[in-house]
Amino acid sequence: MDCIVLVKQVPDISNIPEDAWDREKGTLRRAMLDSILNPLDLHALTFASRLTDGDPEARTVFLSMGPPMAREVLVDCLSRVPGEAILLTDNAFAGADTGATAYSLACAIRRIERELFDGRRDYAIVTGMQSVDGDTAQVPPQIAEELGIDHIAYAKDLRTEPTLAIRRIASEGVEDVHPLRWPILITVTACTEPLYRSFARAREARRAPVREWDAASVEADPTRIGLKGSWTQVYRLFSPSEVRPKDCELVRDPAELVERLAARYHSAAPGARADSDEAYALDGREPTYRGELWVFAEREGEGVRSVSLELLGKARRLAGSLGEQVGAVLPCDQAGDRPEALIAAGADTVYVLEHPLLASFDPLAHKKAIADLVRERRPQVLLFGASPLGRELAPRVAYACRSGLTADCTRLEIGDHRKGTTELVGILKQTRPALGGNVMATIMTKDSPCQMATVRPGVFKVPAADPSRTGEIVRPPVELTPADLGLEAVPVESFASKISIRDAEIIVAGGHGFRSRADFETYLRPLAQGLGRLLGGTTRVAASRMAVEDGFTTHDFQVGQTGQTVQPRLYVAVGISGAIQHITGMQGSEIVVAVNKDPKARIFDYADFGVVGDIETVVPELIRATEAVA
Amino acid sequence: MSTPIDVLVVGAGPAGLAAAIRLRQLLSTTSRDASVVVIDKAPQPGYHALSGAAFEPACLDELVPGWRDDRRFIEHVSTVERDEMVFLLGQRAIRIPPPVVPRPMDHHGDVTISLSRLVGMLADRAERAGVELFSGFSARSLLVEDGRVVGIRLAEVGLAAGGRVKSNHGPAEEIRARVTILADGSRGVLSSQLRERFGAGRNPQVYSLGIKAIVRFSGENRFGAGRVVHTLGYPNPASVFGGGFLYSMGEQSVAVGLILGLDWKYGDLSPQREFERYRAHPFIADLLEGSVTIATGAKTIPEGGYHALGRIAVPGALVVGDGAGFVNMEKIKGIHYAILSGMAAAETVAEGLEVAADGPVGLTGYARRLEERGVLPDLRRARNYRQSFRWGLYAGAPISQIQRWLPVRLPMEPDFRGTRRGARLGLRENGGMDGATFVSLTGSLHREDEPAHMTILDPGRCQACEADYAVSCTHFCPGQVYRWDGERIVLSASNCLHCMTCAVKCPLENIRWLPPEGGEGPRFKQM
Repeated sequence: MDCIVLVKQVPDISNIPEDAWDREKGTLRRAMLDSILNPLDLHALTFASRLTDGDPEARTVFLSMGPPMAREVLVDCLSRVPGEAILLTDNAFAGADTGATAYSLACAIRRIERELFDGRRDYAIVTGMQSVDGDTAQVPPQIAEELGIDHIAYAKDLRTEPTLAIRRIASEGVEDVHPLRWPILITVTACTEPLYRSFARAREARRAPVREWDAASVEADPTRIGLKGSWTQVYRLFSPSEVRPKDCELVRDPAELVERLAARYHSAAPGARADSDEAYALDGREPTYRGELWVFAEREGEGVRSVSLELLGKARRLAGSLGEQVGAVLPCDQAGDRPEALIAAGADTVYVLEHPLLASFDPLAHKKAIADLVRERRPQVLLFGASPLGRELAPRVAYACRSGLTADCTRLEIGDHRKGTTELVGILKQTRPALGGNVMATIMTKDSPCQMATVRPGVFKVPAADPSRTGEIVRPPVELTPADLGLEAVPVESFASKISIRDAEIIVAGGHGFRSRADFETYLRPLAQGLGRLLGGTTRVAASRMAVEDGFTTHDFQVGQTGQTVQPRLYVAVGISGAIQHITGMQGSEIVVAVNKDPKARIFDYADFGVVGDIETVVPELIRATEAVA
Repeated sequence: MSTPIDVLVVGAGPAGLAAAIRLRQLLSTTSRDASVVVIDKAPQPGYHALSGAAFEPACLDELVPGWRDDRRFIEHVSTVERDEMVFLLGQRAIRIPPPVVPRPMDHHGDVTISLSRLVGMLADRAERAGVELFSGFSARSLLVEDGRVVGIRLAEVGLAAGGRVKSNHGPAEEIRARVTILADGSRGVLSSQLRERFGAGRNPQVYSLGIKAIVRFSGENRFGAGRVVHTLGYPNPASVFGGGFLYSMGEQSVAVGLILGLDWKYGDLSPQREFERYRAHPFIADLLEGSVTIATGAKTIPEGGYHALGRIAVPGALVVGDGAGFVNMEKIKGIHYAILSGMAAAETVAEGLEVAADGPVGLTGYARRLEERGVLPDLRRARNYRQSFRWGLYAGAPISQIQRWLPVRLPMEPDFRGTRRGARLGLRENGGMDGATFVSLTGSLHREDEPAHMTILDPGRCQACEADYAVSCTHFCPGQVYRWDGERIVLSASNCLHCMTCAVKCPLENIRWLPPEGGEGPRFKQM
């Protein structure tokens, strides 16, 4: 099987030099960062080599879109795996958002199919699920949409015998997917041990020809590429609030600490930090967009995923300032009593798209059902929760509706904007982190009938259900046939209890202050459980790098610059000194508590509450206190 | 099978790149073409290069004419206009009057540069001259057959901690070449192997550790532009060789550093803490007030000089730069000697390639060319300089002024023997930057689950080191790689700065350092 591997040159955000920060303007000087091959594309390359393994006829074509210097990443790929390289480069591509990029790459893929594969369609397109700079994960599904093919997202493994099966991470668990049609597009997670460059290949790669294709040579429609062809536009970049040392309250009595902590935890609920939209008023002016504000309702078991309810609450508030109605879109095989729950959460109308072929999630089938409805009813806004499912469905729906999409928004507001001589009134301003969270971008939709966005779970609050609310339930006809489905999915295991440390609301982390692995377990786990019970949040135990080096736990639980970055509501650092490499991994935590026997430990500079004392003394008292207050 | 390599240069520093550039220049004037390949373990050229540096630029006019027009490089180069030497006592500073400052320490005519940036500039020139430059490949050993160097072996890749072979495992590749030029820097792994195999100098090679930071002023630059300051005395006790420096780096930045001879006697001396004490001295703190540290780093300097030079020309290989030890401690300079030695090596190789169309290449005349270019004569003049200070600063200062006329070779002990049982400096808390932040500003990165690239050869011997030498490695490593848990050393290998201090300074000679997988280590972008 032939493969096209899509790769991108990105800035290296793992290592940002101090003087790359322009603290006055609050931006990052991107030119001062090294350029590297997008790390997930290294996994894609390795994944693709497993797909072609054993087939001497198989061709691997590396394709990248970028300025001339992006050639380096193609040479880098050829230094690891034999193949051919094509750089899609043209000034006309500059400024492209995800949709315009997807279109441009799709044109190049069509040319590869025609000229390099002689029109053969049995190939796979493999790419990393997202890049570290944009990190929207939108381009791959949108390429699939432009090409009219199926996609498989979040691949983590593959099997070629007896037939090809791609193991992927779905919302409820892990499943094996068998493509029924070709070509197929696969996006991969960090699931491989990436292949290294070899000197011998690097030497050959240096001499290998890298073809350069421009917009005309791939027959790209000039109105669909570059900034002009984009359906979104960034109009503001700013710095997230800088890490400020906190004023740590040192508390002597662990019981008192727990009490104060509980009070603080319950008062600063999520969503309180994100909302500020009630202030906007149209004041009789003509808004730029008209129509309802819709929310995609994602099923979970018999009910609806919490993020969909969070978004209904938000949509209610946004719609209020525009004087519009709120709709919920529910693709399903059987609606059950979900429509009532959606109305109670804020929907004025529930559009039930009921069809047997929507029983399980097939991206094409769901996209078709929703996009048909959007084209018919023309909402002005469509919001999706940025769950794994939402993140692969929304890009296809947006692209099919010729609309801009902004991923992983942390803030949504209605506002006005002057663009040249045009005054835009009552548009949706979409703010999201970029460059790995090092910079914030505010984006608006342009040249689109609908403004679409995905929002991470937990950004907005779940609204209190109001059973007295009334609304309409509508059942539009859904046109789907088995020919619309191109994937066969077989569930392998479900997720029930697998929360990664990144999803936990409460994290209790241990560091070098522990003497042994036994101590680490003895003290941390009960503390985490106690706090979880007391405060009512999901908990996880984590560790600093030193604790991992000392053998107390594995790298999966490491928080810090070379581990994971977490943003829980509560972070408890036990026996952690607070080296800067650790702080960068948890500085986004809402509330930080530190326990350390050294009163001068740096961790106290970044904590809200602290206790100075021995772990062996303090932690058991904290555990007892959590049980007492509960 | 790729085309054979005529000349392989190991190390893309000033010496290696000078050799490669000069070689391509010479080849382009002859009818014979030859492949010149340079490999380097850093992720990008220059990222493992660190120096002060006050530099004599004449060699660049010969090697890369037009270098002054390279705007990206020139904007960071300053001409020295003010040059001072200062003696620091506890709280005071005494300027040494200019007539008393030794001539070799006069820097008028020099420029201050960042070595990392110089290397970046030379790398661009090398690529344009047709040099095949490959960053991110680590050389671990020489290939020697029948007494002839035939190439090198790279590090194995794709192992997990504990030695498990991963699915992306790559064997240790061999690179064979007709000529190998070793330019692997201070205490270079391959040049050390060559010295062991083919012959060391009459004196052992000895080293200092240079530890430095780049600070930037957002407002007024209190230090000034075009200025060079060298200091003696505080914080180094009289028995510790070295001193400090401050060099203007352009209009808004200053390079500040401290050099400490690695034969220091105190088991608990921490160079990073000493560096912070240095920065806290009122004279230094005043000059740098209002500035912010934007980058840090450390690297060793080979100081044995003329008497420590071992075999630098052997069948199949030449050694250039710091790897050979062409540093003149009287001037505290090594970069231009590195470049000149690279050029001399290139001319030697070019002559050999002219004569031999294929097969082994004869390498004659390297030493003669080093004489002609002034490298050996300068080193000879400074041949007893470093050794003069074996007995401390106050005995060393006068001896160092007459060292060149001494009719004998002053001997030198290897650095690891310098640490004395029970000798302690005493922990002196002084604030300043903590170790972890220092490491984070070097940009050092390694794959976390890679096996540690440094090895404690016999862990059982470390217990004795606790009483005798305060578990010295836990203090002397500027990267905080070594931690003592009461029974054994725990390694944070991913902090490593590749400075080579541990390979030199372990009092029990119990540490072996090899380079990790390619493309790792610090990222010195303006050092």
